[in-house]
Parts: sequence; structure tokens; C-alpha cells
Amino acid sequence: MNVVAAEWIKLRGVRSTYWTLLIAAGTAIGLSIVLAYAFATPQPKAGQTPPDPLLAGFASLEYAVLAVGVLGALTVTSEYSTGLIRTTLAAVPHRGALLAAKAAVVAAVTLVIGELAAWVSFFADQAILNGHHRGVSLSQPGVAGAVLADGLLLCVCALLGLGLGALIRHTAGAVAAVAGVMYLPALLQALPAPWSDRFSRFTLITAAEQVTRHQPSLTEFAPAISLVVLLAWPAAALAAAAVVLTRRDA
Amino acid sequence: MIEAQTIEAQGLSKHFGSVAAVTDLSFAVRPGHVTGFLGPNGAGKTTTMRLILGLDTPTSGRALVGGRPYRDIVRPLRQVGALLDAGAVHPGRTAFTHLWSIAKSNGLGRARVTEMLQLTGLEAVAHRRLRGFSLGMKQRLGIATALLGDPAVLMFDEPVNGLDTEGIRWLRQLFKTLAAEGRTILVSSHLMSEMALTADHLIIIGRGRLIADTPADMLIDASTHRDVLVRSPRAAELRTLLASRGAQVADEPDGALAVSGSTAPAIGDLAAAHGIAVHELTPRHASLEQAYLELTSDSTEFRAPKEALA
Repeated sequence: MNVVAAEWIKLRGVRSTYWTLLIAAGTAIGLSIVLAYAFATPQPKAGQTPPDPLLAGFASLEYAVLAVGVLGALTVTSEYSTGLIRTTLAAVPHRGALLAAKAAVVAAVTLVIGELAAWVSFFADQAILNGHHRGVSLSQPGVAGAVLADGLLLCVCALLGLGLGALIRHTAGAVAAVAGVMYLPALLQALPAPWSDRFSRFTLITAAEQVTRHQPSLTEFAPAISLVVLLAWPAAALAAAAVVLTRRDA
Repeated sequence: MIEAQTIEAQGLSKHFGSVAAVTDLSFAVRPGHVTGFLGPNGAGKTTTMRLILGLDTPTSGRALVGGRPYRDIVRPLRQVGALLDAGAVHPGRTAFTHLWSIAKSNGLGRARVTEMLQLTGLEAVAHRRLRGFSLGMKQRLGIATALLGDPAVLMFDEPVNGLDTEGIRWLRQLFKTLAAEGRTILVSSHLMSEMALTADHLIIIGRGRLIADTPADMLIDASTHRDVLVRSPRAAELRTLLASRGAQVADEPDGALAVSGSTAPAIGDLAAAHGIAVHELTPRHASLEQAYLELTSDSTEFRAPKEALA
């Protein structure tokens, strides 16, 4: 617990933490309101389905996921760029414990901010959509779970950033890698028809979209499986980071 | 009193690719002394300290602190304090937050942080961000970090860099006080002149290998640079006499003679036997600095070629 408390002191002690969290929450809530208005106003043409009522809450996380990815990466890469990592590892020689403590602190902070942003967005969006009779209520099946998943997505991306940061050890490289994971579905569009969809369902963003919809897509994995895919990304990055961190010279 | 603990290197080697940074290094650093860890730049001092701290894994051999590998120590700051690179801090944190996070990881409280800031004279700048700190202030912060856990073993890598004269004197005194309390102190430097004033035991390495592990005064005795300075109004006669007795005589710029291969009493007796007056007869020891340069002259990794100096 001492190591977790120490990482908490470190995270609170730098301004970048506040900036990245402010950007994450601010863009998430602000964009979702803009998107909700955009989705609410035009009348759907005949035969066209209107956007999923929870889409604004998910689509608005586009910048927030990168901001928390940067936050996660910085908790490790800033220690490497300054050389502080050697002082840290001299104080905490058990490297697995250090990584776990960093992950716990980053996960807790981004989960709180993520859920806060997700729920504020949800109530604002539905108030706007209800004005056009397109909103959903919390009592409808699947809605609460989808909003919780929006909040979870920020935590997932922050931990992915942390894991990639520990593997790559350079801020720019880690941020580029996080962005690469986020834009993977767009890259996969370049593949020929059946393959783009077959691979796409394994990407973090496609899995996240599936678990945050009111009406899950029938062509993707079931939401439960998509949730596993979503969690597997940061889990894999952190597991690889734990192995490498333990073996590598500091 | 502090519980005595040693630092031991046992056949320690570290290779980075094809480069051997440290080769088969064995030594023990004993409690109650300030041990100087000397070597030219690139000799492997920092690498050795990193191996001791478990930051790097040795290619072969092992390093022990208090009989155990560093990585096996729980809450190591209570046993070992180290200053490797004073500049290795996050510029956005304050001195207090920096120290507090490190203290907290080893279960040490805020009171100890405040105490160390006072000891190192940093309490006035405790809540300033580190980006504004001078190298000397960061050096003091690094020393505060090393002392946080009141450890029995302390290691400092080039700690006087960036300190002003007053700071250097303060640090020397601190090392001696800490050693007198029974702690084990290892201080690296590439400057013998600094170590001559601080260390009472020396471990000297060059190109990653052990050159000497000796009390500081023994190193001077072992040096080949010993002679006797002789002044006489009849220097030329005395020179011929000395040469005939097998001594080597060199001229000093001011007309005095530098005699090696003989002793002051023998030279005095010889002069008296021939009725030659002697105005000065001074046995000269090499300085620690000269002894050190003699030892490491073959193992300096980066040296200007002789032509370049001419």
C-alpha cells in the first residue's frame, strides 16, 4: 500500500495530470452535447435508421481516450526521460509491484473521471434527445451498462498508455503507439471486404463501440465477448510491460 | 549506534554487448570509514554502483549489501541510501513532493522529509518546483533523498559536482560524521584531490578492473615518486659525490638537487664527511594525486594523444 500511496503523491504532484484529465472530461462532455444536438435535429429520411441514442456519449470520447492514454504513458515515460526511474527502482526494487501500484493509481483516477464524464454526458444528451422524442431512459435494459462502459473506456485507454509507456520508455513513441491502437479500425478499412470486418471486431475501439451501444450491432461480437476484447488490450500491454520491466536494466 | 553493514562485490562483471564495463571486480566496503571509489571517467564506477543497487543485472558475479542482493531487501531506503544523478528529478514537482513520494514508498513519514530538508538547507525552497533548482540545490536534494531512511549504507556518485566551496566543505564534514556513526560510506570521484581530503580508504578502478584497494596513506608509501630535496652552496661537488654512490640526481629549476635512490640521513652524512654545508634536506613524498595518476595512467579510457597536447 505504501507504494500505491507514493504513486498517488507523484501523480498529484505534476500539472500534466490535471491538464490531461481536464481535456479528457471537458472534450468528452462538450463534444457529446454538440453531437447530441447534431443527432437530434434532422428528421430521418424514410427507411433510414436514426443514430443509436447512446452514440453521442461514445463518439465524443475520441479526444478523451488520447488524453488519458498520454496520462498513462507519462506516469512511466516521464520517469525514464528524467532519470527518476533509477531513484524509484532503488526505493522499490520489486518492479512488478511498482508497475501494479502505478496501474492502480492511474486506473482509479481515470475510472472516476471517466464515469463522471460518461454520466454527465448521458443525462445532458438524453435531455437534448428527449426534446425530439429520441432519448432513452436509464430504466431501459442495457442502457446503464452501456454508460458505465463509456466511463470504463477511459480507464482502459489510460492503462493501455501505461503499459505501452513502460514497454517503449519514450513519451512520443508511447503516445504514437496509443494513437495507432485507436486508429486501427480505420486502417483495417483498407483490407478487402470480409477481412476488414473479421479483424476489426478484435480492435479496441470496435469492441468499445459494441459495448456502449443501446442496440448492439448484430454483425460484431456479442457485447460480453466485446467487453473481454476491450479489457484484453490493456491487460496484454501491462503483462508484457511487467515481463520486460523485470528483465531489463533500468 | 548504527548496525554495521558492508557492501561487497564478488567477481562482478557487466558487459554491454561487446563492451566490458566492469570485469571481475571484487572488493568489500567496510563500515566506519569513508571509502573513496576512484577511477578515470569511463572506468566503470557508475556501472558498479548501479549493479550494487540492483538497477542493472550483472553478466556474472554478484553484489551484496549487508550480505543480501539489493533486490531482496524490503523497504531498502531504511538500509541503503544512494545518490546517483542529482539531475534525475521531475522538473514539475516540488522538492517536498519529490522527497515525500520517495519516503512514502518505504513507509517513511512527512516529518522525516521536513527533517532532511532542514539538514540540507532546503526548507526555504521546499515548495518550489524543481525546474528552478540549480545543480548545487539538486545535489543537496539528492543527499536529502539518500539520507531519508537513516540508512547504514550510503553511496554517492560524484557528489561534489555543482557544489560551491562552502557546500563541498559541508559535504566532507557530513561524510566524516556519518562514517563516525558507524555507517558504510562509498563516494565515487574521478578527482583524487577531492578524495584526498575526504576518504580514508580507497578503491581504485580503471577500465572496469580493480587497480587498488588500500588505505589512503598506504597508497602514498607504495608510490615510486619519492625523493629528497637538497640545497647546498657546493651543489656541483655534492652532485658528483652522490652520483658516485649510485644515487640519481636531477636539477630543480631553482638550483636545488632532487635526489632519488638515497635517504635524507645518508645524504646528510655524506655531505658532513666531506665538509660540505647543506642548507636544506627535505624528504618528499608523492602527493596522493601523483600516486593515483601513476596507477591509472595505463587505464585512462579517453586521453588526448601526446601530439595534441604539444
